[in-house]
Amino acid sequence: MNKLQFHYFHLMPWPDLPADFDERYDSAWITLPNSIYNPDKGHFLYNRYFDELERADKLGWDSVIVNEHHQNAYGTMPSPNLMAAVLTQRVKRAKIGIIGNALPLHDNPLRVAEEIAMLDVISGGRIISGFVRGTGMEYFSYNINPTESRERMEEAHDLILQAWTRPGPFAFEGEHYNYRYVNIWPRPIQQPPPIWLPGTASSETIDFAARHRYAYMTVVMTLAQRQRAYDMYRRFAEERYGYEARPEQLGFSLPVYVAETDEIARKEFEKYVMWYFHKGLKTRPEFFCPPGYMSERTMKGLLQSGLPGAKQTFKELVDTGVVIVGSVDTVIEKLSYYSEVLHAGLLVTGGHHGQIPDYLVLKVQELMAKEVMPHFRDKQVPLVEPDIALMQEVV
Amino acid sequence: MSEAYSSGVGILEEKTERTLVIQGIRTHIIEAGPPTATPLLYLHGAFMGNQWLDVHTLLARRFRLIAPDIPGFGLTERPAWMRDINDYVLFFRDLLDTLNVKQPVLAGHALGGWIAAELAVYYPERLQALILSHAMGLRVKGSPIADIFALSPQEYLRLITHGDPTSLPFWPEEFDVEYQLLQYHERTTLAALAWNPGYDPRLAQRLARIQLPTLILWGENDLLIPPIYGETFRNLIAGSELVQLPVAGHLSLIENAEEWWGAVETFLNKQDRSAQ
Repeated sequence: MNKLQFHYFHLMPWPDLPADFDERYDSAWITLPNSIYNPDKGHFLYNRYFDELERADKLGWDSVIVNEHHQNAYGTMPSPNLMAAVLTQRVKRAKIGIIGNALPLHDNPLRVAEEIAMLDVISGGRIISGFVRGTGMEYFSYNINPTESRERMEEAHDLILQAWTRPGPFAFEGEHYNYRYVNIWPRPIQQPPPIWLPGTASSETIDFAARHRYAYMTVVMTLAQRQRAYDMYRRFAEERYGYEARPEQLGFSLPVYVAETDEIARKEFEKYVMWYFHKGLKTRPEFFCPPGYMSERTMKGLLQSGLPGAKQTFKELVDTGVVIVGSVDTVIEKLSYYSEVLHAGLLVTGGHHGQIPDYLVLKVQELMAKEVMPHFRDKQVPLVEPDIALMQEVV
Repeated sequence: MSEAYSSGVGILEEKTERTLVIQGIRTHIIEAGPPTATPLLYLHGAFMGNQWLDVHTLLARRFRLIAPDIPGFGLTERPAWMRDINDYVLFFRDLLDTLNVKQPVLAGHALGGWIAAELAVYYPERLQALILSHAMGLRVKGSPIADIFALSPQEYLRLITHGDPTSLPFWPEEFDVEYQLLQYHERTTLAALAWNPGYDPRLAQRLARIQLPTLILWGENDLLIPPIYGETFRNLIAGSELVQLPVAGHLSLIENAEEWWGAVETFLNKQDRSAQ
């Protein structure tokens, strides 16, 4: 068993914001005029981003991952399942993660069940299916009632899981979703596809993940916050559900940048990753937490600490472990803390931030794959390219 | 109470407060005015529960004023099942029963006005007259109600006032965590009722059923719910009267309490004369 899995994540941002963005706009979401988006440049960018993901596959990353966001410059994948469909044709070996579909935004989540099933069949059972609630901003963009977010999330989850695994036709009778006939064609190969839940450490989501034994992936937070989240997951698993959580159930999504030396890494990375925190994530507090989206307890914590990354400097982000940056040795040391001390086994990271040039993305992808990854791979089972011909023979 | 709004109304009338259980909900109610006077049920606007303003004093001079905190605001909690405007209609019908109030005048501001309009659609026989002040409940295409949920608490207070928002009786000393949490709590109730749609799609059709004497009050400078909403209510409720208050924002009943009350008195006196 590998000590750490390496998953390559892409947000597919729109990096070209106006020079006066900081002064002129209070949000990269919802209200940022879409005249800023240039479709011709977008054509180039999408294909460049797909190339990056294809490269990650060839370099030996365990999966490539896309996700869902709406009406923003932070991540331009309103339909992640479309992106995954493209990836099934470009990525031949790695798994393909959609982390995830924002379930409460969908008035008909049966469509999500169908699309993931299609992708699983097309990809030969390589889909990882994440479920998310979507950011607070999404509730403005899709005009979905944030006070119903958790209920819709849990109900859509139940519907999709049953649609994948229970012989149809059957009826699904929910408060928000009601079907006389659930009977999806095709059915997925995996029964069910692995389910991951990203979260910002709310106890509600951690409990949900622990209850169903899903992988819980911490996003945009400090090392200390992640540690508390994992402790909570393990405690819930043991005390409430009677099992011991495994490293494959604990993931961490964060920007990792590796270069020749610590100094070079910091120097190269700073301006690109700060695009992510200061521009991509920039939004109004009211957009970030619409009423009812978070429990009042979580809201209180947020009001006291402020929006994640909004004010922190690069140094603070590095020092608190919100990002990892450094030489190969430094990165190995920091990742080892996760695998050895926190027993978290899923690294989710990508090389693309802001306007980073492609040669730097390639450098990070390669150094990670060739210098960092082997340190965490099981020596008994060296990574080899699968023999496609042999696989076809077996089939 | 702020000096700016003491506006010659004089000393406060005596008020009493009590908590009654209605539909299992501990409901905070402020009452004032002569016990034998005609009852008036006043439904406050969002975020305006548990407040005693000049307008209450003015109403209590003429009426037996009953001013409950709407569930989810002030000191009345909202149970999770309560998430539809019709839940509120049934709640206030039961409140009238519990208090044994017959034939009250029903007045509501903004969110309270929406509930009042719905009550008048469903239970007109239990009411004497209807007063809608800057009421929610309708949609006028092309003139959307401002997106309250996108505004910070400061921005919201600035939008709804025509004058100086810092002299509002409920302008907080500090926009601290405690204040923001309270706003989040009360906004959650408003979102449960009015995130999408922020109105009752069936109300416009049903308002024609109202045959009660109806007064509609609007500030000409209401930036939250534009004055065209007042005209629309007037057009949909046969025989209703619209009074547009000049130089008045969404909080005409606070910032222009005398004019607001003047329009109400004129309307009531007219009703009294026609009843004789």
